[in-house]
Amino acid sequence: MELRKENRVLKFFFITVSFVFLGVFLILPLIYIVVTALRDGIMGYLTAVSDEYAIKAALLTVQATIWAVIVNTIFGIAAAWLITKYAFKGKKVLSTFIDLPVTVSPIIAGLIYVLTFGRQSDLYPILDSYGIQIIFAVPGIVLATIFVTFPFISRELIPVLTSQGTDEEEAAALMGAKTFTIFRKITFPHIKWALLYGVVLCTARAMGEFGAVSVLSGHLRGKTNTLPLYIELLYQGYDFTGAFAASSILVVLAIVVLILRLVIEKRGQKELDLNK
Amino acid sequence: MGYVELRDINKHFKKFHASKDINISIEKGKLVALLGPSGSGKTTILRMIAGLENPDSGEILIDGKVVNNTPGSERGIGFVFQNYALFRYMNVYDNIAFGLRVKKIPEDKIKARVTELLTLIDCQGLEKRFPSQLSGGQRQRVAFARALAPNPQILLLDEPFAAIDAKVRSELRTWLREMITKLQITSIFVTHDQDEAIEVADEIIVTNQGKVEQAGTPQELYKNPATPFVAQFIGNSVEVKNYEQFKHFDKQSDDSIAYLRPEFVSIFKKGESVQFASSAEEAIVEDTIFRGSNIEVRARIHGNLISAIRSINDAEIKVGEKVDVFIYRLYVVSGNEVILETNSSLKDEEVVI
Amino acid sequence: MNRHKSVIPGFGISMGITITILSIVVLIPLCSLVVFSAKLSFSEFVYTVTRPRILSGYFVSISTAFIASLVNVVMGIILAWILVRYDFKGKRFIDGIIELPFALPTAVAGISLTHLTTTNGWVGQIFYKLFGIQIAYTRIGITVALIFIGIPFVVRSVQPVLEKIDIQYEEAAFILGADAKTTFTKVIFPEILPAIISGFTLAFARCIGEYGSVVFIAGNTPYETEIAPLLIMSELQEYDYSAATSIALVMLGISIVILSINAIVQASVSKRVNGKI
Repeated sequence: MELRKENRVLKFFFITVSFVFLGVFLILPLIYIVVTALRDGIMGYLTAVSDEYAIKAALLTVQATIWAVIVNTIFGIAAAWLITKYAFKGKKVLSTFIDLPVTVSPIIAGLIYVLTFGRQSDLYPILDSYGIQIIFAVPGIVLATIFVTFPFISRELIPVLTSQGTDEEEAAALMGAKTFTIFRKITFPHIKWALLYGVVLCTARAMGEFGAVSVLSGHLRGKTNTLPLYIELLYQGYDFTGAFAASSILVVLAIVVLILRLVIEKRGQKELDLNK
Repeated sequence: MGYVELRDINKHFKKFHASKDINISIEKGKLVALLGPSGSGKTTILRMIAGLENPDSGEILIDGKVVNNTPGSERGIGFVFQNYALFRYMNVYDNIAFGLRVKKIPEDKIKARVTELLTLIDCQGLEKRFPSQLSGGQRQRVAFARALAPNPQILLLDEPFAAIDAKVRSELRTWLREMITKLQITSIFVTHDQDEAIEVADEIIVTNQGKVEQAGTPQELYKNPATPFVAQFIGNSVEVKNYEQFKHFDKQSDDSIAYLRPEFVSIFKKGESVQFASSAEEAIVEDTIFRGSNIEVRARIHGNLISAIRSINDAEIKVGEKVDVFIYRLYVVSGNEVILETNSSLKDEEVVI
Repeated sequence: MNRHKSVIPGFGISMGITITILSIVVLIPLCSLVVFSAKLSFSEFVYTVTRPRILSGYFVSISTAFIASLVNVVMGIILAWILVRYDFKGKRFIDGIIELPFALPTAVAGISLTHLTTTNGWVGQIFYKLFGIQIAYTRIGITVALIFIGIPFVVRSVQPVLEKIDIQYEEAAFILGADAKTTFTKVIFPEILPAIISGFTLAFARCIGEYGSVVFIAGNTPYETEIAPLLIMSELQEYDYSAATSIALVMLGISIVILSINAIVQASVSKRVNGKI
């Protein structure tokens, strides 16, 4: 009984502290963005978000995000399959390299690409002769976005595939099934929720990337400005309504991501319990 | 020549020597058990036959052909995994049909074959169930049907009863034995349970520390253990170091030890036995265990706690009671040799008669 | 060679895809960093990274990241605790919102936190009028932004461990006569400590490299509120790649040290729990 009573006071205290902490650090900024975005009225908001450059920036963000999701999905599936289904030398090194991008500062990520593809690089003249420009152009932005979200999908898939083991695939292989049949019929059903989850996380991070993209973008309005960069531009030009209006789009997307995350997690968990 | 043969097989997992100079020959149509303690390399042998692992050296032959470089899927084998490895996202029908669909067999033929197998395993009506909705026994039978579907020549089973609770297990043993006998399919299964091996298999291959210790029928292993390991592994053996202190047994060599099985020992109440009155020894009962159909009596003699089985119809023996013990025979292990030693009073009697 | 090791087909194709993409995205760029670094003269490197302005940049980054991560350790434990052990209204909401820093673009968080904490912002004015404390454009502001960024790390690493601790341990401790405090410090805390350390180091490493949310709130006054990533950025804008690379190498070194410490801690813990490896 005594234990219970003590718990109730603590419980109230902890929950209050948590609500205040998250309220100030997470909720208040969201409210502030919405309020500021709307402070010039709904018309002001609509003008700001339908600005030609805002739309172009949004489209570039979408483009970079789609690329990141496609490349990282292909990579994530191949890498997770490779790491969990086979024994080979150098597996640990491979895993380390896959996880490396998220531990590196985004600015350093940008710097690495500048060193690789910039004017001083040995690759530059080769690429230039084919008319390919990477730095301060869209390809650079896409590469930077892929880099900062690189392990997001493989990291979701690996634990699921590890706990599933290799028995089912071995059984199918012994019956003569080929790679894609095994993947499609046996492996994929196990990972579909984890994959979707990874795609959602990858999307969230990709559309919001700022540092790495900032290094690689030429900051050309309408050409190489992504939405976060466009927001920075407006903010530095003291167009706060515009900056927060553009931000509100990303806020809405972030909230959608969070809700999707919860839904997917719940569905995936349910299916997992069913198959235990 | 055997239908399945392993010749001088060696296999390492990194530094672990999992298979050491394995030589095995299995006849067509036989039901063979690979028996050994965990880590003895029995599963590795099974997986190499299946093509799930490749030996470092040596040859694997099936039906006279070397199959080392033949993929597992073309060796004509069916494999039942320890945890069955049923495809969790496919229903029973699709699980059994999988191997046939991979071979691009027309759907109507598949249907006929699956129906036939469902009848064989007595699981009609479960086609639409998913593995998670089946009982342990049903899962095993579905796994069995799935392995049989493409008509393999050899059936390999990895610890087929390990994941099933005790009561269903003995039913399934009988069922599996009947099934395999009926189908006349060469079968090899892995087990660490000697009762299981003895009950189910025609022939047992005993493995220990990566080596094959002995191969033979259950009776042969029981009567003539070829190696010290088999002598102590088969049966509920009790190790006896000072066996020469027992009446009518002589020390064979200085470092020899003996193994004593309950069936080699008789325990009598004082005065109960006339026949062995002179050659029996006295022991004190430390424990009696009711086993349902019989009673195990444990008594201490010359410092060794030995077991014997008594019928429940015999007179009751109490803990602490002084009893007469007669030992018929024991296995003496001296170096790498195993000798079956018989109580010399019995030999004398034979001479007398 | 390896191809024969597994019956599961597809080793070649998955290895091919993995290595190709990994090379383009990570390995080749990393190599060019190594190649470029090798060309740097050592004395120039030392000169660059020991300039007072750069040293102060490292100090600002490390100290604010450290304090922010400590705050997140405390709040992370509390949040994980209430999410695992208590039932209350809004629990699912809290569970979901904790991931916001992962989902919300850092720049958006940055400008919003800045506006909130300036001397006439919603929160900033309270602190300014009551205590005379400025938040935005000071190191406190940087710490605030880093707290925001680091919130999910400790919670998400402690939460699953706490979920796995069987309530029976606590009941056992309770029956043996331990009070709630002893039970927590002696039974629960040692169990979650590795997760706390792992969450802390991940948050710390992330915060040291953080750029987007910090640049707006920092004010970027040399020697005061200039963070190391910003220094790399300004060298890049002046096309001084040598200086940028030098600063970056030191930062990479710091990250490697932090993450290695965590790896060593986790390895020794798993050794203790699981016996030999």
